[in-house]
Amino acid sequence: MSENAGSRNPLQLRDQPETCRTADAEERSAWQRVIGRFADNCRARSLFVLHYCTGCGAIELPPTITSRFDMERVGVSPMVTPRQADILLITGYVALKTLKRVILSYEQMQAPKYVIGFGSCTINGGMYWNSYATIKQLDQYIPTDLFIAGCMPRPEAVQEVFLELMRMIDAGKANAWRDYYRNYDHYLANQQALFGPQWHTPTDIVAEAKHYGLMGPGTTGPHTRLLDQHAEWALDRIPEDYPERGENERSER
Amino acid sequence: MRPENYKPVRHPPSHEYELYFGPNHPGIEGNYAIRVRLKGDVVQEAITDAGYLHRGFEKIMEERLWVQNVALVPRICVPDPVPMEESYARAVETLGGIEVPERAQWIRVLMLEMSRICAHLFTFGGNAATIGLYTNMFWGVTMRDLFLDIFEEITGARIYHMYITPGGVRRDLPDGVLDRLAAVLDELERKKPEFDDLFFENAVVINRATGVGVLTQAQALAWGVTGPNLRACGLAHDVRRDDPYLVYPALKFDIPTATSGCSLARMHVRRAEVEQSVRILRQVMERLRTVGGPVRAHLPNPLAWNVPAGEAYARTESSKGELAFFAVSNGGPKPWRIQVRGPSQMHGVQVLERILEGARIEDVAQIMFSLDACPPEIDR
Ligand code: SF4
Repeated sequence: MSENAGSRNPLQLRDQPETCRTADAEERSAWQRVIGRFADNCRARSLFVLHYCTGCGAIELPPTITSRFDMERVGVSPMVTPRQADILLITGYVALKTLKRVILSYEQMQAPKYVIGFGSCTINGGMYWNSYATIKQLDQYIPTDLFIAGCMPRPEAVQEVFLELMRMIDAGKANAWRDYYRNYDHYLANQQALFGPQWHTPTDIVAEAKHYGLMGPGTTGPHTRLLDQHAEWALDRIPEDYPERGENERSER
Repeated sequence: MRPENYKPVRHPPSHEYELYFGPNHPGIEGNYAIRVRLKGDVVQEAITDAGYLHRGFEKIMEERLWVQNVALVPRICVPDPVPMEESYARAVETLGGIEVPERAQWIRVLMLEMSRICAHLFTFGGNAATIGLYTNMFWGVTMRDLFLDIFEEITGARIYHMYITPGGVRRDLPDGVLDRLAAVLDELERKKPEFDDLFFENAVVINRATGVGVLTQAQALAWGVTGPNLRACGLAHDVRRDDPYLVYPALKFDIPTATSGCSLARMHVRRAEVEQSVRILRQVMERLRTVGGPVRAHLPNPLAWNVPAGEAYARTESSKGELAFFAVSNGGPKPWRIQVRGPSQMHGVQVLERILEGARIEDVAQIMFSLDACPPEIDR
């Protein structure tokens, strides 16, 4: 037994999709559907919003969170880390520099995750329709579940959109996040159009899609193929004098 | 897969490290970041990383009509938008030679002072939250909401009013709003002892904020500090008094100062300023009950308004400091050049970088909040 364990390459585990994979819809038994339904129900009642405010909409969040409108009574509260958050609330215009961080945060969040575009700026550029520094349509870069119209929307509108999101989650309809896996190539193409062909993030979306059985017709394509090249380029770019682990040990001796 | 900017580095000894503070951080006032290099928990060096909110204001404004820009200017600084509208409107009026009716001037002062109170209440909440006192945050924001209701009644919007336009204000005050404002001011004064208990007489605040982030008067003058931050160093400089605009010369108010220039002194100055603003508001309300007349000067057709060529510089005392617009017209329907002189650029970048040196990591957020810089205005 010990021999077996020793010879097994731990990396090979990842190539066996059967060992750990979320079942496809057809494969799900009635029992699993019941559990899924129950999970959706619970999920809708405990939502955490990532505490990242991109634009001017940030000023209406303190009133929404604090005593007057108090979003905690509908079961939504702020969360400081992306990995524990469910909702990414994009509060207004997104400058290019911010968009990079938004995409990084979005990819770090664990599915199921929901994106809400807050204010006209996320819908069509709003006030900044002719600005050279902001993006115009948020859903070209990350899939968005809901938008709030207005410049700037009132706290009541923010609460209403949370309630609407809960209804959607409860009914199993808030599935925009699946689209990111199914059509990753489309989103990546738009991101690369902005940031150049060198753009890539530390998260391996294609591998995740494979792992969770979320591959779709648009997951891979010409743009994701560029990513594979980057992996090789990145290896080339490590400076010559970068100490290998072995070297370090030797120099210490 | 490695991120684009990944560079393997030889790590320095582990007691020296670098922290990326923000942009997603509850102790940051907005979408803004600071890179702090630490030794133990003492800051060795702080480098600000702005640009997350850049929209290219000065360029966009050149591409829109003079009147269209009225909707754009309040968005420069989110917590305190009215001084932006006022500065821009005054710059355009100077260029066009427009006389603002008296009633409009009083209404403008009313809006400006209400906005100052709102911004200061917000800063109180934020500043207290950075040292872990969340009750203040809740109270400050709720108190501010009462003022936002008045704003909404007057202008139709809670945050961005777009109410002050070149030539006056958009419309007259609704009936009975002055009584409701008086009630809100009474409520604020009634709550004041409780706010004091919670913040200024709180042992936690006194111990954490006294002598932290000290700015001397010489430093403040050399680095272009204005507003409450400068007054906390003992210099009574206030644009409302030194370069008066609107009807400020007719109003009685003091310019509060402090001497120590630390975090707590800055908050004390803000507290006193709220008191002065209440005093100003009461005088304005009294005058508004008697002064009548139009609230808007006659303007040419705004869609085809060629503002006469020339240059104008209009400064206003905002809650953050001295704010100014420099407008150049070449006689066309659009501005030829607009330059914004915002106070936050100095406070949030130059000053912050310097006074953070030697501070401790737990005070970084607090120092930043006590300077009251406004990231959207830094980036514009
Ligand atoms: S929609 Fe309006 S309030 Fe919201 S970010 Fe854009 S300009 Fe600001």
